[in-house]
Amino acid sequence: MAGHRHSRRRFRLSPSLANRLTIGFAIAFAVLTGLAVIGVARFLQQRQDFEDATARSYQTEIEARTDLFQSRDAAAARATIVAQKRQRQVLRDEISSETRDTALLVGAGLIAGLTGAALLFTGLIASMRRPLEDLVDASGRLAGGDLDARVQIGGLAETATLGGAFNEMAEELQRRAGERDQLDRMKDEFVLTASHELRSPLTSVQGFAELLLLEREKLDPKQAETVEVILDNTRHLVRLLNDLLDLARSDAGRLTIKPVPTDAASLIEDAVRTMRGQFDSRRQRLALGFEPGLPQIEADRDRIRQVMVNLLTNANEYCPEGAGIEVKVRRAGADVEIDVIDDGPGIPAEQLEHIFERFSRGDAGETQRVGGTGLGLAISRSLIELHGGTIEAESTLGGGSAFRFRLPAAPSPVSAEAERSPSEAS
Amino acid sequence: MARILLADDSETILLLLRTRLEMEGHEVETAVDGQEVVDAVAGTPTPHDIYLLDAMMPRKSGIDALRELRAAGVDTPVLIVSAHTDGGNGDDHEGLGIAAYITKPIDFDQLFAKIVELTERHV
Repeated sequence: MAGHRHSRRRFRLSPSLANRLTIGFAIAFAVLTGLAVIGVARFLQQRQDFEDATARSYQTEIEARTDLFQSRDAAAARATIVAQKRQRQVLRDEISSETRDTALLVGAGLIAGLTGAALLFTGLIASMRRPLEDLVDASGRLAGGDLDARVQIGGLAETATLGGAFNEMAEELQRRAGERDQLDRMKDEFVLTASHELRSPLTSVQGFAELLLLEREKLDPKQAETVEVILDNTRHLVRLLNDLLDLARSDAGRLTIKPVPTDAASLIEDAVRTMRGQFDSRRQRLALGFEPGLPQIEADRDRIRQVMVNLLTNANEYCPEGAGIEVKVRRAGADVEIDVIDDGPGIPAEQLEHIFERFSRGDAGETQRVGGTGLGLAISRSLIELHGGTIEAESTLGGGSAFRFRLPAAPSPVSAEAERSPSEAS
Repeated sequence: MARILLADDSETILLLLRTRLEMEGHEVETAVDGQEVVDAVAGTPTPHDIYLLDAMMPRKSGIDALRELRAAGVDTPVLIVSAHTDGGNGDDHEGLGIAAYITKPIDFDQLFAKIVELTERHV
């Protein structure tokens, strides 16, 4: 802050060089113009005098010639004529020398004026150039996200004002970014705390509802159904809480994975097995296809299972009864590629575009009950990216959907050996 | 069937867990904080097979109680019930010999399987 005040003070004390130069230039221009006017006026007066004198000279010569014609004092008349001719020669020499002097004077004035103006503008541009280049550079850095970007304040009052304003703006931006970061942290903290605090009461609700269902034979069918509704909604709440928690963690950079070399086939089979019941209850066919000889993958089992369950739940809920869902696992270069393909209603292009964004939810058909939170795919993408993988979706309306993610294969001891030996040889 | 020392500061959770565990045929002793856990371990005529402790309890947490018990040479297997879905992530639970973290809301099938696994291993 001290530096900031210092810069303001400097900018107030800094004289307006531009103003001084402008005034100097105006005075010089006025003086030069005045001199030129006086010079030209004097020249015109001399020209007039020259013409008058020449006219008088001719008059005298004509009178002398008349005298000569009338033969009065011929010698005197001849002398006068010669004298007048000489007189006019002198006048002509004088006026041409005056003309040359005036032209020289005005020319010199003009050159001096132009040189002065050129020097002035060169100086002006030079003194503006450095601060402006600084400003351009700092603006670029600020726009690129470097909130520490500041300019040195100096030079003309105008560029100093500009620099001061820029620095104030950068200061303000930095302050607001700091406030926003703090608010973000508070939000993340709040979501983390809230989701932990909600877990205990939810444990009770879910636990006691399950307890009731364990003694289903003591409940009449309506009561049993009621308890099932409670359980369904509790599970949905838990899912929502888990998703919100993951998202808050992801935002706070605290979503972490513990990848270990994992057998891809067993991991995917495991996830498919937990979902089998849901597919059966909607009479959907779920096919599983593995390429033989799959390499191991670097994966956090729980997290990849979460991604698979999310993709399968989407397929299960968005596809109609009797639909077909296929899971394919194969090797793709240094990755293992997992496809979840359905022959369901497909996703409109404008939804597909935003499908991995938060709270983006598909349009379920009229009869379908979709229990998602709209967060699953956003979290799945975060998780896959944390694994160093990619996830993408393809779909055509009426032509089914395909979700594909790739995970890097774990370096097997053998292939690591094979990769190392050539580099050692070189 | 196992003899289980169960600790949680919430009476409803305690009731829920006790009911489900007893329905499975386990013998359950309860505590409401870490101090009661330590006292129950010291005062029990027959040692417990498993401690099922809530991670966060007022006065003395499950983790602190466990630290104390481990320091006293008690090597009973421990399950920690936690609201945190990331288990002991980031916390210093090294060397406490925690067999598993049970996340709230509790998946009872998973919990029962874990108890069976631990008692069988211990026998």
